[in-house]
Amino acid sequence: MSAHNSKGPQGPDGDDPRVTAAEFAMGLLSDAEARAVEARMAEDRALFDEVVAWQEHLADLMLDEVEEVTPSPQLRKRIEARLFRSDAPPVWKQVLPYGLGGAAAALVLWLAVSSGLVTPDEGAIEADLVAELTPTPEGGGLVINAAVDTELGAVQVVRLAGDAPENRVFELWLIAGEAAPVSLGVLDDAADRAVIPLPQDVMAELPGAVLAVSDEPPGGSPTGAPTGSVLAAGPLTPS
Amino acid sequence: MTLQEEVENLIVRVAMGDRVAFARLYDRTSAKLFGVCLRVLDDRAEAEEVLQEVFVTVWNKADSYRINGYSPMTWLITVTRNRAVDRRRALRRPPEPIETADLLPDSTPGPEATAMAQSESRRINECFDELPRARAHLVRRAYFEGDSYADLAEATGINLNTLRTWLRRSLIALRECLSR
Repeated sequence: MSAHNSKGPQGPDGDDPRVTAAEFAMGLLSDAEARAVEARMAEDRALFDEVVAWQEHLADLMLDEVEEVTPSPQLRKRIEARLFRSDAPPVWKQVLPYGLGGAAAALVLWLAVSSGLVTPDEGAIEADLVAELTPTPEGGGLVINAAVDTELGAVQVVRLAGDAPENRVFELWLIAGEAAPVSLGVLDDAADRAVIPLPQDVMAELPGAVLAVSDEPPGGSPTGAPTGSVLAAGPLTPS
Repeated sequence: MTLQEEVENLIVRVAMGDRVAFARLYDRTSAKLFGVCLRVLDDRAEAEEVLQEVFVTVWNKADSYRINGYSPMTWLITVTRNRAVDRRRALRRPPEPIETADLLPDSTPGPEATAMAQSESRRINECFDELPRARAHLVRRAYFEGDSYADLAEATGINLNTLRTWLRRSLIALRECLSR
């Protein structure tokens, strides 16, 4: 047994970063050594990359080694019961209270501001559903009013406050019932208002649905689902 | 869409709390990940316990996946393998003995390597083939069974420092092969 060395893994080759990364990836280090490597990885990009490279190669090894085996059918139910029974709402559903809590106020505010902000010359929109998207804690004060003309199949959005961070854009989402958020489009940061056409198949889902705005990379979410924080949200209510 | 792209897309949606995406991710990956649990634990009941923990972790930690730098399947496999190894260690099974005869210096590929050479071989497998059979076996034990240096020393009866040196040299040889 070699003497313990507080500087790290002891013995020949123990200070070679390729060895350290491999030992970390395979779980060959003591807990204290592993914590020290984790701390170094945060500072040392080369070591971080080396660990990632090992994990990728080892995962390849595992993929080649194992056969697919179907677990028992009850397992999925057990997992879902454990996760979802406790009523922990999905992240994007946690925005609901923001919308619902402010619903009455939103309506009043909407009536107050809409006459001034949604001028008649843009009046192609005849709103039958409206929403005030109020900021979430991450929202940076973003406030957006939305007016849906279901006849026309379009939503008009008016940004009352808040700007997208540099090199980020706002993306508008429709969240209806249990379904995953549907992107309605990216908002042009240069304009504080826009009219966005709505997909035909969402029209029936609109009453009671929530509109939400997330923070996304330029061009919008690369995945088709929100990837950044939800910045503002509010429910659609009859106008 | 490749499997990697599909899985990545699903993980991002899971991070947003999308249960439909979670169900689909389970459908697409659970059989493979269950195979990983079985490979490490060799016990169906234990493997199902671990797989359950893995998917709970995936649901809770999907939002941290994007910053860790791994490709999506690697993240899932790494989480699964590490959980399974933790469980195996907690069970405190004595390490299976390794016959000293298997550890004689020998440069011919072992039966495992030969079998793999016939399958669609990835770079890591080609590199394992370049290791002496006994050394490759030790590295595989460390990865697939989660054996520590001390476990391997006990399993082989080889001095701990000698064994550690062998294994580290093997890791360096593997890494050099992988970067060629």
